[in-house]
Amino acid sequence: MKIPRFTYHRPATEEEALAMLTEFGEDAKVLAGGQSLIPLMALRLSRPAHLIDIGGLRELAAIRERSGTVSVGAAVRHVEVERSALVARAAPLAAAAMPHIGHGAIRNRGTACGSLAHADPAAELPAVALAAGASFVVRRASGERTVPASEFFLGYLTCDMGPDELLVEWRLPTWPVTAGWSVQEVSRRHGDFALLGMAAMIDTDPVGRISTAALSLFGAASTPIRVDAAEKLLTGEPPSAALFDEAAEIVKGQLDPPGDLHGTAAYRKHLGAVLTRRCLSEAAGRLGAAA
Amino acid sequence: MSDDRCEVTVTVNGEERSLAVECRRTLAEVLREDLGLTGTHLGCEHGVCGACTVAVDGAAARSCLMLAVQADGCEIETVESLGTEEKLHPIQQAMWDEHGFQCAFCAPGFLMTVYCLLRENPAPTPEEIREELSGNLCRCTGYASILTGVQAALSRGAAADA
Amino acid sequence: MREGLAGKYVGAKVRRVEDRRLLTGRGRYIDDLNLPDMAHAAFLRSPYPHAHIRRVDIDSARRMAGVFLVLTGADMARLTNPFLGMMALDGLYDPVFYALATDRVRVVGDPVAIVVAESRRVAEDACELIDVEYEPIAAIANMAQAMDPMRPPIWPRARSNVLWEDSQTYGDVEVAFAGADRVIRERFAQHRQSNQPMETRGSVAEIDPVSGELIFHSATQSAHSLKWSLAFLLERTSVWRSIRELATNREKPRKFVVGARAFIKSHPDLRTATKSSQPAMLKQLRREPKRIVHLSEALLGLLAKDPSRRPRVLAQDIGGAFGAKGLVPREDVALATAALQLGRSVKWIEDRNEHLMVGGQAREETLDIDVAVTSDGTILGLKVHMTMDVGAYPGFPFNGAFFAQMVKVMMPGPYRIGALRFDTTITASNKGTYVPYRGPWAAETWVRERMIDVVARELGIGRADIRLANMIGADELPAAMVTGPPLDVRMSARRTLEEALRVADFDSWDAIRDQARSEGRIVGMGLATFIEAAPGPPKFFDYISPGFSALAGVEPAHAVLEVDGSLSVITQQVPHGQGHETTLAQVAADELGVAVEAVRVRYGDSSITPFSLFGTGGSRSAAMAGGVVTVAAQELRQRVVDIASDLMEASTEDIVIEDGHIHVAGTPAIGVSFAEVAAEAVRRRPGSPSDGAIRVTSEWDGGAGGWAQATHVCWVEIDLDTGLVTIPRYVVVEDCGELINPAIVDGQIRGGVAQGIGAVLYERAAYDGDANFQAGTFMDFLIPTAMEIPDVEIHHLQTPSDIFANYRGVGEGGMIAAPAALTNAIEDALAHLGARITEQHLPPARILELAGVIEAEAPTEVGPPDYSAAAAVPAPRPSLIRERMPTLTPAQAQAVRRTATSVRSGARRFADRYAGRP
Ligand SMILES: Cc1cc2nc3c(=O)[nH]c(=O)nc-3n(C[C@H](O)[C@H](O)[C@H](O)COP(=O)(O)OP(=O)(O)OC[C@H]3O[C@@H](n4cnc5c(N)ncnc54)[C@H](O)[C@@H]3O)c2cc1C
Ligand code: FES
Ligand code: FES
Repeated sequence: MKIPRFTYHRPATEEEALAMLTEFGEDAKVLAGGQSLIPLMALRLSRPAHLIDIGGLRELAAIRERSGTVSVGAAVRHVEVERSALVARAAPLAAAAMPHIGHGAIRNRGTACGSLAHADPAAELPAVALAAGASFVVRRASGERTVPASEFFLGYLTCDMGPDELLVEWRLPTWPVTAGWSVQEVSRRHGDFALLGMAAMIDTDPVGRISTAALSLFGAASTPIRVDAAEKLLTGEPPSAALFDEAAEIVKGQLDPPGDLHGTAAYRKHLGAVLTRRCLSEAAGRLGAAA
Repeated sequence: MSDDRCEVTVTVNGEERSLAVECRRTLAEVLREDLGLTGTHLGCEHGVCGACTVAVDGAAARSCLMLAVQADGCEIETVESLGTEEKLHPIQQAMWDEHGFQCAFCAPGFLMTVYCLLRENPAPTPEEIREELSGNLCRCTGYASILTGVQAALSRGAAADA
Repeated sequence: MREGLAGKYVGAKVRRVEDRRLLTGRGRYIDDLNLPDMAHAAFLRSPYPHAHIRRVDIDSARRMAGVFLVLTGADMARLTNPFLGMMALDGLYDPVFYALATDRVRVVGDPVAIVVAESRRVAEDACELIDVEYEPIAAIANMAQAMDPMRPPIWPRARSNVLWEDSQTYGDVEVAFAGADRVIRERFAQHRQSNQPMETRGSVAEIDPVSGELIFHSATQSAHSLKWSLAFLLERTSVWRSIRELATNREKPRKFVVGARAFIKSHPDLRTATKSSQPAMLKQLRREPKRIVHLSEALLGLLAKDPSRRPRVLAQDIGGAFGAKGLVPREDVALATAALQLGRSVKWIEDRNEHLMVGGQAREETLDIDVAVTSDGTILGLKVHMTMDVGAYPGFPFNGAFFAQMVKVMMPGPYRIGALRFDTTITASNKGTYVPYRGPWAAETWVRERMIDVVARELGIGRADIRLANMIGADELPAAMVTGPPLDVRMSARRTLEEALRVADFDSWDAIRDQARSEGRIVGMGLATFIEAAPGPPKFFDYISPGFSALAGVEPAHAVLEVDGSLSVITQQVPHGQGHETTLAQVAADELGVAVEAVRVRYGDSSITPFSLFGTGGSRSAAMAGGVVTVAAQELRQRVVDIASDLMEASTEDIVIEDGHIHVAGTPAIGVSFAEVAAEAVRRRPGSPSDGAIRVTSEWDGGAGGWAQATHVCWVEIDLDTGLVTIPRYVVVEDCGELINPAIVDGQIRGGVAQGIGAVLYERAAYDGDANFQAGTFMDFLIPTAMEIPDVEIHHLQTPSDIFANYRGVGEGGMIAAPAALTNAIEDALAHLGARITEQHLPPARILELAGVIEAEAPTEVGPPDYSAAAAVPAPRPSLIRERMPTLTPAQAQAVRRTATSVRSGARRFADRYAGRP
């Protein structure tokens, strides 16, 4: 289990990194924290000819708040997101997801953007991005585009980025202070990737009816998915256990998850209902808690 | 650096080392093979077992999931930096007293994880300890003796040495 | 630093001697060995579970820069002897195979080529350049497929994929079943498990640059059996050459024969052992005559070889094994061959993916059981049919069938079971090798304890009551199991049960559970009691395999006063986490009156340790090694005292040794040191002192032996939303006689329980329905973490006894009982939902299926067909199936005949000369 040969590049600036990506294209991979890429290479499941290490790019290492968004740079590690007071206040859904990601030592090295770019359907952050209406700033040498989360995740380990593009920033809209949130998952062991998980947010209008609902599942399909039908059901209704049960049944009915060694499809479908109930009741309990 | 050798300068256990290594080699491999620091063990080489845990700039990291070249400019501490056979570090002493380990293949990883934990959080709760140690696998002990060892280390003020 | 008062180590929680080294990262594990000019090996492995190899092209790999050597199966067939089963069982098909696959691969991960290069990285790069043309064949993925007569055997010389069928009856089974009020039947299935120590297997084949001798460093549980296995497998010398060698140099084999004769003489039972397997062996030879060629090439070659040129095996620190490092890895043979070919040291460290695929798998056994009971719950007899899937390549030298016999003999456990019929079916599949895993016979405990719960439920009797009613109590001892092994008066399983019921407050449990249920919480509690032959009654192994005690039942040790006055104990045990450097030193220190630090325990080097094929395993270290070290240390003490008494001109009875100081009782000021005694001993003994000043060699057969026993109680809480099981409390009540080091005992128990929990809730060496391996990383093979394993509360009982060396083993017990206690608890929790637990692996999805929360999906592991249905048509008795000679081409047949004749006549001539005949 040894890593195959590659050429290592350590660009000094983002610009240099983009130039390298243009130059090597398909043959190159970005190396961020390495917590997903290195094991894949050790198993020889991935064998890029060039690695472009962005871990040291200071300009991408910040978490910032500006004009209604919290932005997380490409070199920001999970642990920094986890400990950020800014994220806890202005992006509590992301903060809630962090402790579920692997273990401390993994979070010390892995990056949030790396996880998003990696687009593992069982990972927490892509689902968080989807529920929170986040967007991604994707750059190439010739220009920049911003992709909403709803269009970013295309398939298993595939997202809307060309081989010459770099994900430079993850942008989360500042949390509506009235909204409640919850991230929950079921995994075989503590710290494992989820068998199924959910990132949920609900907000209410002044009379206490649900005004926005976002239910985003991970581990349920080849990408993170939202369950529109359940969200629609919730919208306009006052939160209640009975309503959540109904939403849970809809989620279960809509899911067509994969089965594997760790859980059958029927099991994952069932968890969809369980997590819907649990997340909604936790989120309801947190309505207004961010204020 | 465009051929497949990379220049790396790291401070390992307080000593600055400059090496030219094949870029594809992990930090664990370089520590073990080039620096003779075989206390850092490889149990899985894919990030799950924690046997290879070292401190990188004071924080626990899997040395099997890090290229040596990624450690360029970093400060690395391995189990060899803790204590010697003559003078054990308080965490090692507590593990010795409490029969923390059996085959001890996992021990260096646990010791470094505990070391980093106590440095960050000098008074962790038993739940926090359990949670933090859950990133390291031990096949022999069932963990109880290791957890007891951490508690013993704490009650003797090991955090001050972390 | 001192560890308490000399003379009082046994029984104290002495800190481990080995820990200073291990805790500071200064251990010497196999991968830490770095020899000058050492090369590195990697294996190219089959991606297919079953395929013909049509072509292997190694040219580009061999030409790659940094690559020194590439060997394939064809090279192995040329350079080495094949693995040949050494444990002949009547009717068992034991295949012949090489270290590397030759014409077909039989398991995902089957080694096809070995590449030796300047680094492991380059070796792996080169593996990718080897071009293998495979032609996939339908694979055998489970027992049902193995028993399907339409599927061709994976070993062409076997009649089918059923490798062995056997039936044994003990007591009068017909009468027992005729007298029953009810016969209750159930099928229980254990899944494929895996030992997975944190350190994988690995070896360094060192070639001494001067002598060219092979020094084999390895993470092995048994240095001598690895040494002799390697010697056998590597000795590929033509028969004629060996005979010529033997004829010209009689001194060489003379020593060997004298040694062998002495060994056989001192182990008279060995005759019986070999005698009973002789007919089976002959049958094997008839069935596959080329075995004769291989055997004679290897054995004569060994005989002709200069003993000093036999491989030397060296083991140092080992990162766990649990049985996985007791067998001879095929890779080791390829590695040694490569090193010998290159004349250069080569290292191979198995990676985790390899270890998961082919490093050893265990326990895939399905047991059908019928219990004859009276309506008051008295168990009259059992009929058990065990089907064991041993995978493709049998373990060497111990294969699955050997362990199946242990399940059979241990089946009654501590219960009064008067009649037992035990049928065994061993099947082959395209899966990993069966290896012993911590209590390899544990199926007996799991099935028996599970079944007792089933019977209790069926008859409406309490789970404790039915156990108490059927378990043998102190007043009935001594007794014997119906399968033979005697139960002596210290067999205290019932006491552990009674104490466990008290500790657990069992009587209140039903009310507590029902109360919890009414609050919507799903909780359960399970019991399990077992006994373990650690070391077992005298000659225990003879019940497993007649005569086997002669091989495995004797433990040797040396106790040495070194020339400088220091003390050593030399053991054949190869510790890998059990702390022998401490426990054996404790025992010796107490006998010798010295501090524990003063005794150095030496192990792992086949050139200095006493011979035994057993190594460390079977929970036997404390009892066997503890015993023999006591004996050896006592004798050494006597010899020291003899010399000291001369030096001090005192009578031996007046000599005391305290705190390492030898003096006359009452006058501690005047005395002699061990160094002075050593100097005197050297003076008295002419010749080289390389063996130390005084060297005592002792053997110990386990004496009265005895049983270790325990009752486990497990509590569970189940989340019916997620199927996740938590274990809020776990109790073990154990009696293993006198404890040498309580901290080490408790550690062994806890570790075993953790593995048992892991097996039930998390771990499975899974294959799909086409025998593709599914659990090749630690992301799929799930070893529980500190978050999943509960605290284990341990209570020790000690049945008073003045027996010498009253130590019994605890290495395996934790894992033997935990799956039973846990699955019993889970059924207790889910019983009201109609759940019946008949499988051992219960991941969350399965829990919800059993509880009726979600719909069940078809499993990939399919058990054998229903034997009761098959029984309607009388199956041919195994012994009636006629042995069929393999069909050979005329040319082959002639070649076999020629070789066989020449071997026979050559051997006869050799024997004649030897006996001094013309
Ligand atoms: C034992 C273990 C357990 C884990 N458990 C979890 C878990 O429970 N949940 C979870 O979500 N994750 C888990 N992870 C993965 C972890 O979160 C990773 O850190 C993360 O998936 C990838 O981040 P990284 O910075 O390490 O990326 P890398 O490994 O460096 O890169 C991952 C991929 O993303 C690409 N990439 C990275 N950054 C960029 C960028 N800025 N632009 C374009 N492409 C980029 C890389 O080219 C590569 O293809 C686990 C990992 C391990 C080893
Ligand atoms: S070796 Fe690095 S985590 Fe296992
Ligand atoms: S002590 Fe052996 S793996 Fe932890």
